[in-house]
Amino acid sequence: MNDPYDIRIIEPDSLFFSRGPGGVFQGVIDGKTFEELVVFRTFPFLYPNRFISIRNPKNEEIGIIRDISQLDTESASEIERELQFRYFLPRVTRVDSVKQKNDLWLWELQTTLGPTRLAMRNLHEHMQFPGGGRIILTDMNGRRCEIPDWKALDNHSRMQLTDVI
Amino acid sequence: MSIQTNLPEAIRSKLSGEPIFSTKTDLQLDGHFGELWVTVTEREVSTWRADGSSCLNIAAGEWKEARAAGGVGGGTLVADTLNGPVVIARYTAALSSVFGYAAKLLTAMSKNEERPALSEKEVPRYCPTCGNPLMEGTQVCAICKSKGKVMARMLRYAKPYKSRMILAAVLLLCTTVVELVPPFLTKVMIDDVLQPKTAGSALLWVVLGLGATMLLMAAMQTVRGLIGVWVGSKLMGDLRDDIYKSLMRLSLAFFDRRQTSQFIGRVNSDSEAMRQFMTDGIIWVAGESLRIVAIFAIMFGLDWKLTLFALLPMPVMVLTSLKIWPKIGRRWYQQWRSIFRLNVLVGDSLQGIRVVKAFGQEKTEISRYSDANRELVRHNIRIEGLWQLMFPLFAFIAGIGTLLIWYNGGSQVIGNQLQLGTLMALIAYLTMLFGPLQWVSQMINWASHAISAADRVFEIMDTPSDVPEAIDPAPIGVIQGHVVFDNVTYGYEKHHPVLKGINLQVQAGEMIGLVGHSGAGKSTFINLICRFYDTDEGRITIDGTDLRGISQTDLRKQIGVVLQETFLFDGTIAENIAYSKPDATPEEIMRAAKIANAHDFIVQLPDGYDTRVGERGHRLSGGEKQRVAIARAIIHDPRILILDEATASVDTETERQIQEAISRLVKGRTTFAIAHRLSTLRNADRLVVLDKGKIVEVGTHEELLDLEGGYYRKLVDAQTELSKIRGVEG
Repeated sequence: MNDPYDIRIIEPDSLFFSRGPGGVFQGVIDGKTFEELVVFRTFPFLYPNRFISIRNPKNEEIGIIRDISQLDTESASEIERELQFRYFLPRVTRVDSVKQKNDLWLWELQTTLGPTRLAMRNLHEHMQFPGGGRIILTDMNGRRCEIPDWKALDNHSRMQLTDVI
Repeated sequence: MSIQTNLPEAIRSKLSGEPIFSTKTDLQLDGHFGELWVTVTEREVSTWRADGSSCLNIAAGEWKEARAAGGVGGGTLVADTLNGPVVIARYTAALSSVFGYAAKLLTAMSKNEERPALSEKEVPRYCPTCGNPLMEGTQVCAICKSKGKVMARMLRYAKPYKSRMILAAVLLLCTTVVELVPPFLTKVMIDDVLQPKTAGSALLWVVLGLGATMLLMAAMQTVRGLIGVWVGSKLMGDLRDDIYKSLMRLSLAFFDRRQTSQFIGRVNSDSEAMRQFMTDGIIWVAGESLRIVAIFAIMFGLDWKLTLFALLPMPVMVLTSLKIWPKIGRRWYQQWRSIFRLNVLVGDSLQGIRVVKAFGQEKTEISRYSDANRELVRHNIRIEGLWQLMFPLFAFIAGIGTLLIWYNGGSQVIGNQLQLGTLMALIAYLTMLFGPLQWVSQMINWASHAISAADRVFEIMDTPSDVPEAIDPAPIGVIQGHVVFDNVTYGYEKHHPVLKGINLQVQAGEMIGLVGHSGAGKSTFINLICRFYDTDEGRITIDGTDLRGISQTDLRKQIGVVLQETFLFDGTIAENIAYSKPDATPEEIMRAAKIANAHDFIVQLPDGYDTRVGERGHRLSGGEKQRVAIARAIIHDPRILILDEATASVDTETERQIQEAISRLVKGRTTFAIAHRLSTLRNADRLVVLDKGKIVEVGTHEELLDLEGGYYRKLVDAQTELSKIRGVEG
């Protein structure tokens, strides 16, 4: 019997993840089949690909995966996809423009998941700076985009950003 | 339903029947941005591409249930089919509520239950003209709003002081005209008095004229300045009042999401920025533009050809201003944001100063502050630096005009085509002209500063309260206290309900104890009765009237609250007790304190009832504060009483005293009490056991104890166990 007050780490060789016919993330852990699994990043900002909490749909924790890179190729790619679905956080590849029109700030962005547009009522409540060059943008409706490192963006994007950060 | 009308014809024509519901998602099934459509008919649920080709189709009867599985920043609509779960659609957070509804609809369909109605709140609203999201409760899109709106709205504050402002403007007009006299007199002096070397009284008269204009100007400037100060201070007072009023009007939910210390700075600094613009700024703009026109008129009268030279640098200046204008606005906002971060930081660490000291983290706090401070310094340099750059630049460009006049005018004087006095007057007017032009940059500064401040202020004022005041409130008078929960569902975030389908009838005068694990929804339950939040579904009635139909003042008059965290305002104990009834007599205050078991300890304080408590005053112990809070509730004489863990974290003797006070307080009032120590709820008429947002058991202490394997019994057992452990430790 496991100690219920201890964090249970799932060893990489005792699990296998796949995608069900309905497009749902599922897997086998310690020989037990789960029709649906939910993934949670425990440190979404610090360690986005490490310490992933695997839970059943009832939100009971099955265990923690230390590092996705230790998994076999298919499991790793499925869990990465699932994380991308659950943590919808497109990465900004280019900032086309940042404009203030009357009292809305409009961002035209190119992201890893296609072009998008964010609208914010103000900047001080909708831009987060978790450290380094990272910026998290949240729009009025709760949609989020991430700039992994604004200093690494192209010249045009940096120009757009100079007066807002 | 408005969203269905948007369904593209290509999809509509392929539907198996009339759509019950349809909506557009903003993500493709692979998680990339893109549009797909989800339609629900009696026979199936389908997902379509915009061109009408089908992605997915599930026939009715194949799904047992549907869920909106919320992620971070987005979510997934999943149907549990006979062959396992299937993803119907993915969406970003903007659409969570509409898909939450879709999930409920699909579940209701498969279970043949009553179908939920789509409420307006659940449909994301977009501006019909530009497609940007609309704020909740507003009809006009912020972007499509007329441009000068912020400015116009700001100016509206000046309206009550119209007459004085007009007087100031008239004075300004006069000063401007008078200011133009001296150069003209100089011209007269040079051309008609000094150069012809005519002796006599002419010189004296011209000098006297100069003196008179100077005196007149000084007098008018003083009066204008005084009016400016008066109007400015009044304006600022009005603004501050309005901002504070809007803050107080906002619901608790607004403050839950924000750090409150930020508003302290806002109320003061933003209103100051707006004031500065409205009084100094507007008078400046009006005055200086008037002066520019007048100067040009005179200059053209004196010598129009030379005046044209003076105009040459103007387009450059105008272009530079236009270019720099938006930049300055942004930099002001940037600077404001760093001040804002600094304020939040100070507010934070000072509020938590005990924790800081206890963990010896002063150094960390200092370095956090220095970092934010450095940032502010950097932004300060940026904005001030830009300003310092602009001033000389404008002066230089303007100076070029003077040089041109000197050269051309000078050669004309040498050639005797122009009188020296006229040239001197032209140069003097030109210098006066460049004054206001240079100030254009200062104006830009003021205006953009003020507009960004006004933006933030109006944002607060425009935020609709989540709990709107009833339009036509029902007069309730003195209520009986009969409270009914009718199928109430509520979540702090929609579709994350904390309370689900609560039904409860409470008789007037009954005492209800709320029991359950932490997070079961007890505090939410109480917050809903106070109408700190509005129910998402269902309703709460008092004596048969819906809470939403009662004016909030009336409601609060009938409800008394003793909260977990007792908050005493800065003031005397007497003032705190009489908080809800400022006209209470000393006797009433003492009587209330006596019932609350507080009288004795208060009398023993050196300052008695006049002891200052709150931020700067005397420190009361937790139990003493509790009893003052109970006294505050007693004097309020509410029909409905709410006690939230009133006896948490006090010793046994104090607890007994508080218990006693409470039992006197609850007599004849409808009472809702939360307590972790179940023993304190023994007096309750009924106990309501909550678990994960639902009522699981209702009954008296004894009835519930008799339930084999019941929740309450488990809770009591667990607590007895715990007290045994404590007994051993103690």
